Amino acid sequence: MKQGGALRRFLRKVLFIDLIEGLWVTFRYQQPKYIYTEQYPAERPKIAERYRGAPRLNTNPETGETLCIACNLCALACPENLIVVDSERDEKTRRKVLTTFTYDTSRCMFCGLCEDACPVDALELTQDFELASYSREGAIWDRQMLEEGPRPTKYAY
Amino acid sequence: MAVTPWEDELTRQLQEKFGEQILEFSSYLGQNFLVARPEAVIPILEYLKAEAQFDYLVDVTAVDYPERPERFELVYILYSFERNQRIRIKTRIPEGFRPATAVPVYPTANWLEREVFDMFGIEFQGHPDMRRILLPEDWTGHPLRKDVSILDMDQRWVRQHLGIESGQ
Amino acid sequence: MPDSTFLDATELVLNMGPQHPSTHGVLRVILKLDGEKVIGTECVIGYLHRGIEKIAENRTYAQFAPYVDRMDYVAAVSNGLGYCLAVEKLLGVEVPPRAQAVRVILTELNRIASHLIWLGTHALDVGAITPLFYCMREREEILNIFEKYCGARLTTHAFRIGGLQYETYDTFEQDVRAFCDMFLPKVDEYEELLTGNRIWIGRLRNVGILTAEECKAYGVTGPLLRAAGVKWDLRKAQPYSGYEQYDFEIPTGTIGDSYDRYLVRIQEMRQSVRIIRQALDGLPGGPIMGKVPKVIKPPVGEVYVSIEAPKGELGYYIVSDGSTQPYRVRVRPPSFVNLQALDKMCRGALVADVVVVIGTIDIVLGEVDR
Repeated sequence: MKQGGALRRFLRKVLFIDLIEGLWVTFRYQQPKYIYTEQYPAERPKIAERYRGAPRLNTNPETGETLCIACNLCALACPENLIVVDSERDEKTRRKVLTTFTYDTSRCMFCGLCEDACPVDALELTQDFELASYSREGAIWDRQMLEEGPRPTKYAY
Repeated sequence: MAVTPWEDELTRQLQEKFGEQILEFSSYLGQNFLVARPEAVIPILEYLKAEAQFDYLVDVTAVDYPERPERFELVYILYSFERNQRIRIKTRIPEGFRPATAVPVYPTANWLEREVFDMFGIEFQGHPDMRRILLPEDWTGHPLRKDVSILDMDQRWVRQHLGIESGQ
Repeated sequence: MPDSTFLDATELVLNMGPQHPSTHGVLRVILKLDGEKVIGTECVIGYLHRGIEKIAENRTYAQFAPYVDRMDYVAAVSNGLGYCLAVEKLLGVEVPPRAQAVRVILTELNRIASHLIWLGTHALDVGAITPLFYCMREREEILNIFEKYCGARLTTHAFRIGGLQYETYDTFEQDVRAFCDMFLPKVDEYEELLTGNRIWIGRLRNVGILTAEECKAYGVTGPLLRAAGVKWDLRKAQPYSGYEQYDFEIPTGTIGDSYDRYLVRIQEMRQSVRIIRQALDGLPGGPIMGKVPKVIKPPVGEVYVSIEAPKGELGYYIVSDGSTQPYRVRVRPPSFVNLQALDKMCRGALVADVVVVIGTIDIVLGEVDR
């Protein structure tokens, strides 16, 4: 028994069995199902449906009119006071009409209180997450930007 | 729910020992607290620790009421592992009053009192190391006082460091 | 001449941090050394001070909720739970049972995530690099559940005053169960790597001892207190959010050194899985939001509510003056108070042990400085 064990140990050493076993573990992890790295931006990350990312001001898909009723509730709910809603009264229909909507994403912490406050689901935090810009001014979004969504540069690979 | 009087074995003992020094025994939402004269706080803490197993000082903090003559309310929160009970000891002190430190009774009061000093400017008498703890040494003012406004602080900082007017 | 010198060298003052990888953030420790031996320490904190308590006085109750996540950012859900419980107590709002159970599930998941971060970084400090990758891998699964549930991974803002904003998503139960089944063998795997590891034991045994009496004197709570042999957990001592329905153990240590704390935290992760499974089994239906007025205006009064956060007792002392904004919010941060015992634990130890002691306290500087 003892001798057999010694022989086995000797053969293991000579044939680098331990090394091969170790390398087998290394190479096993080359299998695609073990790969955790995402090849961003070539590969898009999976984003949850409820993700709180870039804000969007929804429009009616048929008419292109904004859903916002300029009630100012989002601006009141915001802890950082970064939403500014301007409206004027339409003389004919006697309703408030949205004129400008400014959203400062540089101070936003994406807490989602504004979308909770919105009574008509006009303001929404979407799954877009690419919010970088080259200047501080670029982080302040106006109504057009909010309705169209961010347009990050597409890189060719 | 209103503030109700708090009466049990412990309050009787405290009443007997400290008498007039304790102004009020109350309970709000099931949480007991007592209001004492400032000079009686440390003896009460010592008594509670030695006689009533309140061996854990949870927190020391303060609240600022600028319109009251006794401007600050110091709050000590105690807990007893034995009794599984929490009480608060409150005392009211005017501006400039230097309450005695609780460090000899509870070592944990060291940093907590330093934070109270940092935020409210209440100096504790006999504290081993009465310096600012969270804010830099050269900071002026005590930010959690009600007369300090965050907008002013922001504007001052922006003007001084960026040379522009703050947009806030 | 001091008689304790063994090198007969003069005192050396060494500055550790604030930019030091093993101080877990921006903690600066000034060490007074005699050769390799530490004869005194001083913590310089406040580099991450954002004035959370002042911010609270300028926000409404609902608006302040997202800020509390930024204190202990690796256990944001626990912070949110404590704050919501405190305001609910002040308002006298009853939280529906379903909301309570979901809160428990998420908080326990967060406790596991926090302990995983602790384990990974602590092991890295001591020199074992593999546990970090393992821990991060499992934590990722928890963060994915958070992302699917509420849309954010780290600073979740998962709870609202009075209950929950979001109903659980379709595969929530399935995901959490899958995580629990996957996670328990992983804990065994960590233990296999570390528990019997001679280097690990050599670096942790008898380092940073804090006895039960010292813990109480310094107000140290959480796993540090339990490692010293005190069977005290706020979830058992003063149950909140329905913890009284769940059956779990409080793991304790014996001598209160770093190794005991490691064992206690490993056991706590197992207990958390146990709680999560029970909560899932008995997950009630019904509403997720209590009767909360549109404008939150608690009556005049004050309240102190504390919960068992992963780091220790996290308390909120809220004073209301009857308006929509809190008059004063005081946060009793476990990391801040626990860090105070660093000096006690380091005196007489070696410089290399300081790294272990900082790791074993499990501080998050966002919470220390607020």
